[in-house]
Amino acid sequence: MEMIEQSDPISAHQTNAGKDRLRAFGIITLNSMFAQKDASGVLRMAIEDLLADELAVVSSFGADSAVLLHMVSKIDPNLPILFLQTGRHFPQTLAYVKTLSKRLGLANVRLLAPDSDELVRFDPDEDLWKSDPNACCHIRKIVPLDKALGGFGGWVSGRKRYQTEERGALSHFELTSDNRIKVNPLAYWEGADIAAYKKTHDLPEHPLFAEGFASIGCAPCTSAVTNGENPRSGRWRGLNKAECGIHFDVNRRISPAMNKAELTLFRDGEFVADPWGKWVEGTAPVLARYVHVPLVEFVVNRAAYLASLHPLGLLVGAGDDVMEVASDLGRFSSIAVEFPAFTDGRGYSSARLLAERLGYKGELRAVGDVLADQIPLMRRCGVNAFVVSHAATRKALEKGVPGRIDVFMQPAGGDEIPVGTRAFVRRAPNFTVSTP
Amino acid sequence: MYRYDQFDAEFVAGRVAQFTDQVERRISGELSEDQFRPLRLMNGLYLQLHAYMLRVAVPYGTMNSTQLRKLAHIARTYDRGYGHFTTRQNIQFNWPRLDDVPQILSELASVEMHAIQTSGNCIRNVTTDQFAGAAADEIIDPRPVAEIIRQWSSLHPEFSFLPRKFKIAITGAPNDRAAIKFHDIGLMAQQDEQGKVGWAVYVGGGMGRTPMVAKEISPFVPHSDLLAYLESILRVYNRYGRRDNKYKARIKILVHEEGLATLREQVESEFLQVRGGVLNLPDDELSRIKAYFAPPAFKDSDARFDLAALKVSDPEFARFVLHNTNQHAQAGYTSITISLKPVGGVPGDATDAQMEVVADLAQRFSFDELRVSHEQNLVLPHVAIDDVRAVYEALNGAGLGEANVGQITDMIVCPGLDYCALANARSIPVAQEISRRFGSARRQEEIGDLKIKISGCINACGHHHAGHIGILGVEKRGTELYQITVGGNAGENAAIGNILGRGIVAEEVPDAIEQLVEIYLKARSGAEENFLGTLKRVGEAPFREALYGND
Repeated sequence: MEMIEQSDPISAHQTNAGKDRLRAFGIITLNSMFAQKDASGVLRMAIEDLLADELAVVSSFGADSAVLLHMVSKIDPNLPILFLQTGRHFPQTLAYVKTLSKRLGLANVRLLAPDSDELVRFDPDEDLWKSDPNACCHIRKIVPLDKALGGFGGWVSGRKRYQTEERGALSHFELTSDNRIKVNPLAYWEGADIAAYKKTHDLPEHPLFAEGFASIGCAPCTSAVTNGENPRSGRWRGLNKAECGIHFDVNRRISPAMNKAELTLFRDGEFVADPWGKWVEGTAPVLARYVHVPLVEFVVNRAAYLASLHPLGLLVGAGDDVMEVASDLGRFSSIAVEFPAFTDGRGYSSARLLAERLGYKGELRAVGDVLADQIPLMRRCGVNAFVVSHAATRKALEKGVPGRIDVFMQPAGGDEIPVGTRAFVRRAPNFTVSTP
Repeated sequence: MYRYDQFDAEFVAGRVAQFTDQVERRISGELSEDQFRPLRLMNGLYLQLHAYMLRVAVPYGTMNSTQLRKLAHIARTYDRGYGHFTTRQNIQFNWPRLDDVPQILSELASVEMHAIQTSGNCIRNVTTDQFAGAAADEIIDPRPVAEIIRQWSSLHPEFSFLPRKFKIAITGAPNDRAAIKFHDIGLMAQQDEQGKVGWAVYVGGGMGRTPMVAKEISPFVPHSDLLAYLESILRVYNRYGRRDNKYKARIKILVHEEGLATLREQVESEFLQVRGGVLNLPDDELSRIKAYFAPPAFKDSDARFDLAALKVSDPEFARFVLHNTNQHAQAGYTSITISLKPVGGVPGDATDAQMEVVADLAQRFSFDELRVSHEQNLVLPHVAIDDVRAVYEALNGAGLGEANVGQITDMIVCPGLDYCALANARSIPVAQEISRRFGSARRQEEIGDLKIKISGCINACGHHHAGHIGILGVEKRGTELYQITVGGNAGENAAIGNILGRGIVAEEVPDAIEQLVEIYLKARSGAEENFLGTLKRVGEAPFREALYGND
């Protein structure tokens, strides 16, 4: 295994149209492009598309680090891994850096050491952690990392929401005040997910994990936790401190919560950020990604779109015939059915044909004039996501879908028809067919 | 008749709760009138010239006495003491207050009634022969199938925002009393060689500014496939019907522009996909619904009218029997039509007191059953011939004994400019004048069966296109004018009337009708030749000439 000391950061800022377009989505768009626990998906997109050649992983080689590093090794074992060699680590941690790197085949682990002049100046007796732990973290972690990140457009952290209250609002992607993208693939993972992943992949534990250390930083400021304690409660125990500071943004907070009003996609009972962007006329098929390509455009350039590897959506206009793309549905990660006006019901037929006749199972979203009172009907036609701009509709959905009638007179939508029953045999839970 | 089960009750209750919430949001200002409009229309609530109008569905025109009493109660409590029965076999209340409407709907729900889909661009109330299940000429009682279509079409998730409204009529008798060929879809019972009953399907009929007689799209669709076939037609219409112009949005325009052959091809190809699936209608389900419509417990009777004797002993009653009864399939019984066209009255209107009387009669003499006819009359479908005299007297006592069914004063008339926001001209006063002019019994007997139908605008709610004589109100430079058509027919030989010439003012209409009638009386080969027969034989020219001279 090759272990390199801090070297010159990658200098070439490679830009390309695809990357720019992806970034142009903005953080809100990037978030919820993935299922919450799709850590590998987040990581792969960040490594290969979003921040290709300008991404680093920052790892503490602590109790849970093996999970993220294992995922990295599967995608790109040459990805720079930055480890803050603070000089105050447990010897077990330093040993673990070696064993884990070897085991996973990580070829580009970089140790970031503090500036020796600063150590001499501010912490000659190595006891700064006692009197001013924030200053200690600053010298040993924040400054070295800031320096090292100079050449990177973004970095990956292994933080998880469940760890602390402050991390409870973490999302997959954050924009930092220095205009970098911070990627948190494990944001939504729970302790059980971590444990299961370690077990599945038979990953070596940090030697201290078995001794009750659930979160491991520098030796002087880390203690074991007891059962039921928050995993990070062993860090800076007794001090009013939960973060070393490398994750602080300008306001000394982490991951500012997103503005609710910016979430326009209603899916699975809540408003979430819409990961999909708007297709722009004239976009070369090979460059289109995370957009709903109009059906007519898709049909015209079908071969090019099928050859492209990027995630694609389909926009079904009100007058479009979905049967024209019957054999291509597997290509789309999302299909948007357009309702240009409240009164234009063509989309209901398109949705039913897609969901029932053609068996499309992915996201089927209604776009356009989507009002609360149509939503129960749309659902029954197979629509499972709604892009909502109408304020009253938004309010109604937040209160709970209004005007919902749970009993219905005719079958529509594959899952509404219990086995052995028929169309007009009206049915609903707890009702029986009656006779005069 | 069909009775709600727990499911239907829940379904309607859910709809009432939903609309109550929508009305509250409207009154609180959360919903603008623009946003409220499509929602109220889905519940049959229109905004007319002077007030809201609530249209209540009477599915395939069938009611019991409890329901009619509830309608009387609503007329008395929330309206001005009357209701108006429509050509779609529904009833309209003309003066409800918006904030009363949720309460009205919940009162309706308590007697298994509602206003769902009585307006809006959805599948409307399925209409049928007012003598269904009673008429002697019937091949099959169409009501079970009508009920199944009602269930299938209620709040259909795919077909609630069609290009335009969609009307289905169904008849089980070869003599079409439901005007099926003037509907978007008309269904007529057929028997194949093996005696199996199915349906001939007609598509693309309608009135309005572009009247069309429906064309046969399929000669025979078996019961089991009927819903699948209807769904196929509706899907093709929903996808390809025009939406750019509301006046060209009905399916009749699609049939006209694409051609029947193309439409049939599209429907058949869709049908191949849909048939045999969840919409397949198995016999046992049809039987289950049929059981609701089982014939009542008729008594054996060989009673029959001796019209010749009655004409001598009781000429007025004889006239009632002749015009207001229809031959029943069961010996000893008849169906009575209660005319809502008193001479000089408002066609189709009934007061709350009259509704109570009719409800009472239905309960006592017609196995608690009632019908609304598309010609805006009420029907007691199953009356023992021995009871007809008693019914007649009770009707007379309530001002409902008019013996004019099928005659010149039994007109279909839309509400016109007296109520309707769309109308160009008044209809009711014109009808009242004609009614007075021809009111005498002797005159009507002389003329025989003659159907006049009046609409106050081109939307043709008064079916003027299908009138033997049709009257259409138009507006030219601020003046209400009336165009006269002749030759329309709503029956199995459906036809659209032709306009005779330029419009005339209201005051001239009764004279003009009088002139047409005179020509007919002079030209007919005998009393048995009706107006249409004479017209066919002599052509329009003499009629045109009578009105406009030789110019």
